[in-house]
Amino acid sequence: MKFSIKSLLAATTVLVAVSSPLYAQDAKREYTPVTDEMHANPPAEDWLSFRGAYNNQGFSKLDLINKDTVGKLQLAWAWPMAEAGIQETAPLVHDGVMFLQTNNNIVEALDAKTGDRLWTYRHELAQLPASWSYQLNQARRQKNSIALYQDKVVLTTADAKIVVLNAADGKVVWEKQVLDYNLGYSYTVGPIVVDNKIISAISGCSIAGTAGGCYILAHDFETGEELWRFNTIDDPDNEEQQKSWGDVPPENRWGGTPWTTGAYDPETRTTVWGIGMPGPYSELIRGSGDGNVLYTNSTLALDIDTGKLKWYYQHLPRDNWDLDSPFERMIVEQDGKKMVVTVPGKNGIAFGLDFDTGKYLWHKETVYQNVVSKIDPDGTVHINEDLVPQAVGEEHLVCTSVSGGKLWQAGAYSPLTQAYYVPLTEACNTVAPTQTEFTAGNAVGATKFGPRVLPEGQTMAGLVQAIQVGATEGTTKWDYRSRPAPTSSVLATAGGLVFGGDAAREIKAWDQETGEVVWSQRLNAPIGGYPSTYAIDGEQYLVVPTGYSNSASSISSAFPEIPLPTGSGNSIFVFKLPKQ
Amino acid sequence: MRKFLTAAMLVLSSMAAQAQLSEVPPEEIDNSVRLSGDTLRVCFDRTSVIRAFDGDVANAIGEALFLTVEVQEGFGGFPLNGAGLLTEVTLAMTNSCDLFMGVSVSPNAPVSEAFTLTRPYATIPFVTVVANKDWQKLGDIPKTDRIGTAMASMGEMNYITWARQRPKPETWVRLPYADFDLMTRRVLDGTISGMILWQPALSKILKDREDAKDLRVVANDPIPPSETHVGAVVTTRNSFLRSEVDKAIDALVADGTIEKLIEKHGYQGRAGD
Repeated sequence: MKFSIKSLLAATTVLVAVSSPLYAQDAKREYTPVTDEMHANPPAEDWLSFRGAYNNQGFSKLDLINKDTVGKLQLAWAWPMAEAGIQETAPLVHDGVMFLQTNNNIVEALDAKTGDRLWTYRHELAQLPASWSYQLNQARRQKNSIALYQDKVVLTTADAKIVVLNAADGKVVWEKQVLDYNLGYSYTVGPIVVDNKIISAISGCSIAGTAGGCYILAHDFETGEELWRFNTIDDPDNEEQQKSWGDVPPENRWGGTPWTTGAYDPETRTTVWGIGMPGPYSELIRGSGDGNVLYTNSTLALDIDTGKLKWYYQHLPRDNWDLDSPFERMIVEQDGKKMVVTVPGKNGIAFGLDFDTGKYLWHKETVYQNVVSKIDPDGTVHINEDLVPQAVGEEHLVCTSVSGGKLWQAGAYSPLTQAYYVPLTEACNTVAPTQTEFTAGNAVGATKFGPRVLPEGQTMAGLVQAIQVGATEGTTKWDYRSRPAPTSSVLATAGGLVFGGDAAREIKAWDQETGEVVWSQRLNAPIGGYPSTYAIDGEQYLVVPTGYSNSASSISSAFPEIPLPTGSGNSIFVFKLPKQ
Repeated sequence: MRKFLTAAMLVLSSMAAQAQLSEVPPEEIDNSVRLSGDTLRVCFDRTSVIRAFDGDVANAIGEALFLTVEVQEGFGGFPLNGAGLLTEVTLAMTNSCDLFMGVSVSPNAPVSEAFTLTRPYATIPFVTVVANKDWQKLGDIPKTDRIGTAMASMGEMNYITWARQRPKPETWVRLPYADFDLMTRRVLDGTISGMILWQPALSKILKDREDAKDLRVVANDPIPPSETHVGAVVTTRNSFLRSEVDKAIDALVADGTIEKLIEKHGYQGRAGD
């Protein structure tokens, strides 16, 4: 039989579409259903979720790799990611299977011991036309989380779907169109699954078509039925929230995107999420006057059964500089008392909140910032009003920068030291509200940001800070400063170590107590995503994502002596100790 | 049509821009040299309200340069904060486009050094629109009423700049709209009493909506007039193309071609700048 090249290509395309997922090569593999109890108290050998457990602490109970042994780490295997993209992946591991999500919503299952591929799922992403460029732009990011629950893998997609896969073979069990991607909605972070509820948060809330609605949602895990949704910029149950937007009705509001996966407390059936900036960035443009524009830049605590708000706390009211505050919220328990501990926003200020009430307990500054002038003992945050533009085009030097300070790279909490280890960047940029039409008449952009620069007198862009967490205060335990910026999340382990990496391609291990670097290894590209750890057959493994890093590129002029690779090199590297 | 170039065999080997992008993995960039022959690859924002007008102007430019225009639909759909815009502009210009039509030529144009704006081929005003028959100018709207503005537009900037120079009671509460259909609906239902938007956007609304027949353009007083200059983007490295396109635009303005196209599409404004 003869095939033309064209028809062969077409046939191949169809084959790929229908034959992925591949079937598991090892039919005898045991896969224990993942339960709520396991997510709340994960087996030490697994890394079950974005930050390891419902509490988002980013801590592993494994201790074979420790201060004494870390120097002996050897490469076990490595794996190239399925596609180019921005490296933000969070590898998950359960029962010896590693689940990797890459950009364009590709999920791969690998044998976590050997690195052999078990199956691949390629989401049939809607062919996004060029006119939906923002979704294309977002799809290029390696998404930072998927969820494991029962014997399924749950992912959220760039075309605003929830897709549930069989963990065994990557086959689709069901998928649901949650919101209309034609309006601009897009998932950029993964869900958590609690008590048979998939709790997810949508992005794209700064696109014209999504005005008035940005949501945290719950869907039934079995059926995909929507159970509730909470609108982060329009809460009819809270008059204060409505007033905080001044004259601006809901249909003229944007922003409030919850773009980091939330934490969950099973005891109180409460989930906490961080919320991003308002849109447009400048109050001059958005018309909200000096209103606080709730619930932007806030922590929200929601009842998972009803979706009702239990409490909120606003970390940065009246944002004018895109210093949004959606980053990881951790639930930390000390002496029987639970707190939310977080560096929620780009300005790098750490907070401790009472978990039950949201009451402010303490804050602590980390990197240099000039946007918050004072925080009262009752937790009221005062902004530096000198930096609020009073005219279109008025420019201010704002610290931190639109790239942080803090960004998506998550910190980790160690119960051993009761310290929170946070990757940060010293950076400022100019900010000016502008009217910026690119395509005539189609405005897209109401704020102009200058290039990222170091604060005056600072020569080190990178800071990993250990914050000693207490009930009434957070204090500096140690600082580790470096020329290159940190580019990955960090991982804390029971081995007394903190792992994280930077733009100089170095994965490092710090002593949790002292901040001393006790191991480092240079890899192929900036360290990215979320390093994690797991164990198989009594051996502990360390997995390190590397690849293209926005964070490295945006501040690379601060460390010109460290050239960034010209290739992306998106990969994962897996280390382990040599056999005795 | 004045054809002023004998460039029938013009080879537009427009090099890839090779721009350094902080948000784009290098694999996304096509650094190969385009061998376009006598083809001019022209991109458009398919969401643009003047897409058809821009297409006509592109064809006129192509005809003037003796080049075959090949349409490459561009992009759009960006968030209000412009996130990702420059990335996609750069990718499109590097990988696909010789010329990107319908771009606002202004000091705030968000193009990098890798790209250059041509001279404007049209200048089109923002207009004030009301439904109330008794009002002849913006100033007739009671200050206790609300007005709408096209989000982040030059017309909005013009209003904000005017309003910031006055006590609040002497201005209107302004609501920003990114959806012009919604803004129109709110004028018609009285939620807002007037709107300031780009005239081609109004022209489209009048074509698309039966209920918009009651809308009227009134004078902008007391705010000063505002307008958008419309041009195109070329790669900075291709200075030859930019020069030839500028010459073509000059010729099309001078011979009345652009003016006729403005009339054809029902726009106000003028050819050139």
